[in-house]
Amino acid sequence: MLPAILSTIIFILCLGIILAERMHRTIIAMVGAVLVTAIGVSLEFFSESQAAASVDFNTISLIFGMMILVALLEPTGFFQYLAIWMGRMSRGQPFRMLVLLGSVTTVISMFLPNLTTVVLIAPATILLCELLGIEPKPYLIAEALFANIGGVATLVGDPPNVLIASAAGFTFDDFLVHSLPIILVIWVITMFALRWIFRVELSRSVVDPDSIMKLKPGNVIKDRKTAVKVLVVLGCTIVLFLLEGVLHVRPGFIALAAASTGLAWVQPSLEDTFNRIHWDILIFFTGLFVMVGALEATGVLQALANLVIQANIQNPILLGLILIWVVAFLSAVVDNIPVTIALIPIIQSLAATGYPTELLWWGLVFGAGLGGNGTIIGSTANVVAVAFSEKTRFPITAQQWMKSGLPVTLLSCAAASVLYLLVFGLFG
Amino acid sequence: MIIRDCMKQKVITLPNTGTTLDAVRLCTQHHIGTLPVIDEKRQLLGLIRLQDLINLVMPDFVRLIDEIDFVRDFGAMEHHQPGADLLEQPARLFMSSPVSVEETTGLLCALALLHKHQVSDLPVVDAENRLLGIASQVDIGTALMSTWNVVSVLD
Repeated sequence: MLPAILSTIIFILCLGIILAERMHRTIIAMVGAVLVTAIGVSLEFFSESQAAASVDFNTISLIFGMMILVALLEPTGFFQYLAIWMGRMSRGQPFRMLVLLGSVTTVISMFLPNLTTVVLIAPATILLCELLGIEPKPYLIAEALFANIGGVATLVGDPPNVLIASAAGFTFDDFLVHSLPIILVIWVITMFALRWIFRVELSRSVVDPDSIMKLKPGNVIKDRKTAVKVLVVLGCTIVLFLLEGVLHVRPGFIALAAASTGLAWVQPSLEDTFNRIHWDILIFFTGLFVMVGALEATGVLQALANLVIQANIQNPILLGLILIWVVAFLSAVVDNIPVTIALIPIIQSLAATGYPTELLWWGLVFGAGLGGNGTIIGSTANVVAVAFSEKTRFPITAQQWMKSGLPVTLLSCAAASVLYLLVFGLFG
Repeated sequence: MIIRDCMKQKVITLPNTGTTLDAVRLCTQHHIGTLPVIDEKRQLLGLIRLQDLINLVMPDFVRLIDEIDFVRDFGAMEHHQPGADLLEQPARLFMSSPVSVEETTGLLCALALLHKHQVSDLPVVDAENRLLGIASQVDIGTALMSTWNVVSVLD
């Protein structure tokens, strides 16, 4: 009993400090992991090798591999090129620009981390808005929202998907079949919702629509050769992801292979490339894995799973729906990664009792992916979009976020619930 | 040679209570790029630099994007003007902390300070931090070069 209580206290304490943002979350996760392992070793309930085994290396390799590809592509200016190109195609018409920038953000975030997508698109968005003489706020908010929504569509789109796929054994294709169609519908609903929410901003006249037509997208790319090489590698990687089931390899390995190929082909300055890797995220994950591993080893997660069973929700569809909303709420206030990492073993324990869990996994995917849009701190993409807005004359306030992000979250979760019922209830 | 020998003694200054609009007017009227802010005892409080004032209208993307060579038309921003609310604010809000020297400072040392702090003018103060004069990079640089014994080096 004591080991269970101790590992639970450490986990909750760490989550609390992460929430309070008093210390960097990576440091907290690292300290928490070391602490729980130290206590585990001394009280003999959690050994060092158990701690190492609880790290999901498929997830870590996948994220690391994709980070290297992004680090290679980022300095080429390719993403800025895309944004400028979209700006030109919009001909300075605000709603058309929102649709085009929203689309490009969604597509990029399907394959790259949501946070990275916003970091790459936001500066060019601010440029387009300033030339046109309009406020960048609606576009920045929309980009964060669409980055989070797009991330739900594929296995590699957002870390929770990687974690869930790794635990549930879902393939890249599973996401394309189950998640992508639902996300497409949610995308359209969100776009119309944003058009209504920002109806005043989007109807203001543009001061100088010709200025963005004079931008030459071709001149934005700094290193065309490297851009082409990395895009070829990225393309092949996506094809390999699609063939994952046939090839019997896990996505983590494919990503590492792609990263190695990219590095060998481009031969960049390794220091520059590795400086662009978000080591903090990789270490944060590792730390969380160890802490959750301790919760699992001490039977805490099994006890939680028993609670769910005692609640006697026989219908997995109903439990999946509950999961969408509960996880969405949690993801809006806490980082969706710890939420996902904590819930995965509970669902796994449920599966061990014979409970059909496939629907629960998808509930977790939609809740974790869509919930982050709800608040200004709900996802790293939101935080970065706001940070960019604060470097402009029009900073986004928490209240403004609530006015757009919260309705979008409620709408998208409602749409996800209805579609989930239709897809899994009728055809499941 | 020391900085006292090449500094301008007649300095255009802004009182501590001056607004941003006052600063803009003084700079444009006197065609100057650095405006020392002083208190009633003539003590140096800070500097308003031309760049600080220009930043009021500089597009945000200039700071956010590394290379902007592909933008050759600043569109709406080209005609952007600072709002009345900004111009009515006290100028000291845009003031940068002064890099100043005493009048006995050597020319090379003064130039090195300008270079290190990326500024173009150096206020000169006495031991009580009272403003005595101001010297620009051109004032100091040309004064220094005039001391070079060019003829003997060439021979």
